[in-house]
Amino acid sequence: MGLVDRGRMPAPLTKLFNMGRSYSMWVYQWGLACCAIEMGAAFGSPRYDVMRLGVIPLPASPRQADLVVISGTVTDKMAPAIRRLYEQMPEPKYVISMGSCANCGGPYWDSYSVTKGVDQLIPVDVYVPGCPPRPEALLEGIVLLQQRIKNEDMGAKWRGEDYTPIVVGGGRIE
Amino acid sequence: MVVGLSDTDVAADAPAALPGDGLREGIIDALRRDIGDALVDTHLVPNDDLWIRVATGSWRAAAESLHAAGFDYFCYLSALDWMPSPYGRGEDDPTEPPPERSTEIKQGYAGGETRFQMLARLTDTTRHVGVTLKADVPDDMLAVDSWIPVYAGANWHERETHEMFGIGFNGHPDLRNIYLPTEFEGYPLRKDFPLLSRMVKPWPGIVDVEPMPLSDADGEAADAAAVRTGDSPPNDAVDPDVAPSDASGGEAVGDAEAAPAADAPPADDGGAS
Repeated sequence: MGLVDRGRMPAPLTKLFNMGRSYSMWVYQWGLACCAIEMGAAFGSPRYDVMRLGVIPLPASPRQADLVVISGTVTDKMAPAIRRLYEQMPEPKYVISMGSCANCGGPYWDSYSVTKGVDQLIPVDVYVPGCPPRPEALLEGIVLLQQRIKNEDMGAKWRGEDYTPIVVGGGRIE
Repeated sequence: MVVGLSDTDVAADAPAALPGDGLREGIIDALRRDIGDALVDTHLVPNDDLWIRVATGSWRAAAESLHAAGFDYFCYLSALDWMPSPYGRGEDDPTEPPPERSTEIKQGYAGGETRFQMLARLTDTTRHVGVTLKADVPDDMLAVDSWIPVYAGANWHERETHEMFGIGFNGHPDLRNIYLPTEFEGYPLRKDFPLLSRMVKPWPGIVDVEPMPLSDADGEAADAAAVRTGDSPPNDAVDPDVAPSDASGGEAVGDAEAAPAADAPPADDGGAS
């Protein structure tokens, strides 16, 4: 697989790989606060049924995960654990920041102990706003991420080019 | 603890027909037999609750006495900082000076002389009675005796009190931080601990303020809402930066529009939401 390692693959093969990746994402659930309950409802309940999108929310460890959902209040004390979690995940890896707390600190914007957004620790691919977000919003974040993965240039991702996070609902990042 | 509620207020609210609270008065008497004058003050609400303040040096002795008297359940241990906060709320303007307010330190039930007080709650699970213990913590030596020999569960409570208030516990085996990162500086639950985010940034939620429905009948509430959101036309994105320049014109327009605005649904101002 030397072609893949160098990030230069023929376009049809890239398309095939991307399709395979986008429909078999293993999601690590990193629930930290009340958003974790909402994440469980969105991922585990038959009403929203995330598996129909090709997402498996049950990896045994971050080393098997393609995607992690940081949902809930990130504290400064939790920050090293999140950093380690991210570094344990194999490339290519993606991060969804779910809820106001993980996005920016949320209602705890002035707290002495809360990190003002998980994007201060790890790069975030999709921001899902809300307090908490609706399950539909989280699923839309996953669908938008899948669409991006399908058109992705693996070499560019590896080199960190063209990094623009997705915001569910079309907000902007300041 | 409720501040400003004197004994007479509570006594007036208490049911007068009930007899005296022999159970809790007995608790006070038993504790006084053990620690004597170290029992400084009490506050008894008959048939309701009991506060006892003991001298700093008898903090552990009081716990031992109550433990021997049947108080077998340790609810919690913490501290109180009675100093009024020197900071304003900082919601609208972080440069706004803090409001003038009294710096007088007023302690709650059972009184006190120092800024910091210990606070702990014990319960007797057979007699079904609880007692709140307090003790002054001297300002020049912020430390009291640890309760771990009496109640082992006090260990983590004292660690938290240590990191949040900076109060030491003599005889505690392991006063590491329990919630805060190891390298954290300062004592966050002290009233003079600055919340730095508020110093540099106005409250972010202020951009989401919408007029209350039906509150613009007299025009004043509509004016305030128009100034606050920059008096933007409907469906325009509200930019908080342009609010001051539009504020002067916003009042005149707001007056002229007050009458029709009362009929129109107020949802148009929600461009920022």
